[in-house]
Amino acid sequence: MNITDVVTVRGLRKAYGNRVVVDGLDLDVPAGEIVGLIGANGAGKTTTVECIQGLRKPDAGVLRVLGYDPVTQAGQLRPHIGSQLQDSALPDRLRVAEAVELFRTPHGRDGAELLEQFGLTARRRSAFASLSGGERQRLFLVLALLNRPRLVILDELTQGLDPAARRDVWAAVRQLHDAGTTVLLVTHEMDEAEALCGRVVVMRAGHVLDRGAPADLVDRHAAVATIRFSLPDPPAGLLDHLSRLDGVLAVDRAGSRVTVRGDRRIIAYVGAALVRWGSVPADLNVHIPTLEDALLDLLDGDAGPGAATELIGTVR
Amino acid sequence: MNNQTIRLIRAELRLMRRDPLVLTFVFVFPVVTMLIIGGAFGTTPDQAFDYTNPSHWYVASYLTVVMGAIGLIMVPVHLASYRERGVLRRFAVAGFPRWSFAIAELTVGLVTTAVACALLLVIATPVYGLPAIHDAWRVLLALGIGAVGFIGLGVLLGSVLPSARSAQAVGLVLFFPSFLLGAGGPPPHVMGSAVRAIAGPLPLTLLTNAVREPWLGIGTATTSLIALAGFTVVVTAVAARRAIL
Repeated sequence: MNITDVVTVRGLRKAYGNRVVVDGLDLDVPAGEIVGLIGANGAGKTTTVECIQGLRKPDAGVLRVLGYDPVTQAGQLRPHIGSQLQDSALPDRLRVAEAVELFRTPHGRDGAELLEQFGLTARRRSAFASLSGGERQRLFLVLALLNRPRLVILDELTQGLDPAARRDVWAAVRQLHDAGTTVLLVTHEMDEAEALCGRVVVMRAGHVLDRGAPADLVDRHAAVATIRFSLPDPPAGLLDHLSRLDGVLAVDRAGSRVTVRGDRRIIAYVGAALVRWGSVPADLNVHIPTLEDALLDLLDGDAGPGAATELIGTVR
Repeated sequence: MNNQTIRLIRAELRLMRRDPLVLTFVFVFPVVTMLIIGGAFGTTPDQAFDYTNPSHWYVASYLTVVMGAIGLIMVPVHLASYRERGVLRRFAVAGFPRWSFAIAELTVGLVTTAVACALLLVIATPVYGLPAIHDAWRVLLALGIGAVGFIGLGVLLGSVLPSARSAQAVGLVLFFPSFLLGAGGPPPHVMGSAVRAIAGPLPLTLLTNAVREPWLGIGTATTSLIALAGFTVVVTAVAARRAIL
């Protein structure tokens, strides 16, 4: 175990009846980092963070969170954690300002300031039941950040938020990171993980499939960029030229539609070639591989560098 | 008491005031039924009522209806709703002390009981008169033990039943027979022997006996009081463990 890790999990196992939800999971969350837990539904992400918070007792494994054992020292641990839970609520008739008053400890931040930051000042007298889904999420975030936590656990952080609210929440999480707070983020939103996380852990069926920086995962599991455009009457030799460019793995033509696949360098090379040949299509479309592509590749079981090679064979 | 626990108690008391279920079932139902039943049998002492004024018999009985309503309906529905919706998980992860919610529920239950009982007596007094209390200490002891026991029962039901709807259904099924057989219904002397045998060991019957007999001076109800105390100890111990965050 590394003493700079805020969370250390070794061999975590948790089953509900005969169904094993987390099976031998290892996880490290270094201090000051934003670490994402990603994966399909039922991967065991939420159960993992519930064990980390001491809400569930693991069947096996060793957990240390901020130096505490969440099973036996939950009472000492929890005041240091700010949590935004996936399935939770507040009493229907509790008002926003009352919730802040209820959850704020004497050393906590200024609740009014946080409500202002998350656009809830106008709703401070509103009952929880009358808040929209987005407003509830923002209130949960306010409560999670209220008591200057050393570790913030965010489970499906931006569920139900509109795009503008999502960006505001992301900005708040970045501010937390800048202030040195450690964040463990559980999410289905790959753009969110890519935008916020320094590293991600990909889970499926209670196991870790891979882990690393989002860009590294993309390189490992979804390195192929795709360029699509229409050329009804391509100049003679253009497609052969494109297929010989550095990094190009495949050039495919179906009618007037041309698809070029390769590593990310092809975006520059193909663009330059099209300009040079005087054939710049109006519908040029570039798909740069994302973390979502990497996740899908991992979940499909096509992990590893062979994935790209296999693609060439099928395209050609 | 921990600062967070005090804040939780304050918040729960505030929310209780805004809860229509509490306002109607705990405050209104016992008063309305007492006014109806208490007037149905007149005021002439009758053998069926141990030679006491029937109206006074019901005034002395209806404080326990309040406790039944709190323990069998209000607390279980409230707690099951909190559990079902993840409110308790939110309290738990926010670092509220592990016993804080159990203490808050007990406090809110006792305050509600006291207010609802006071309201019932305030309304009963000008209508039927307040019956003289023959053994005030024994009545207060029974009320105290009963209040804690029924709140404990409510916490226990709320922590084992899967949802607020099921808590409401089970609570109503338990409450109305208990109410009719052991507190607000016909006096035991007019019941058949089989019905009386069923009614006798019900917790609400034990509580009602332990309050009514020393109040009206028709007995000490020591057996009922001891049985009620045993029920309270067991139920409260189990409920306290279940209510830990």
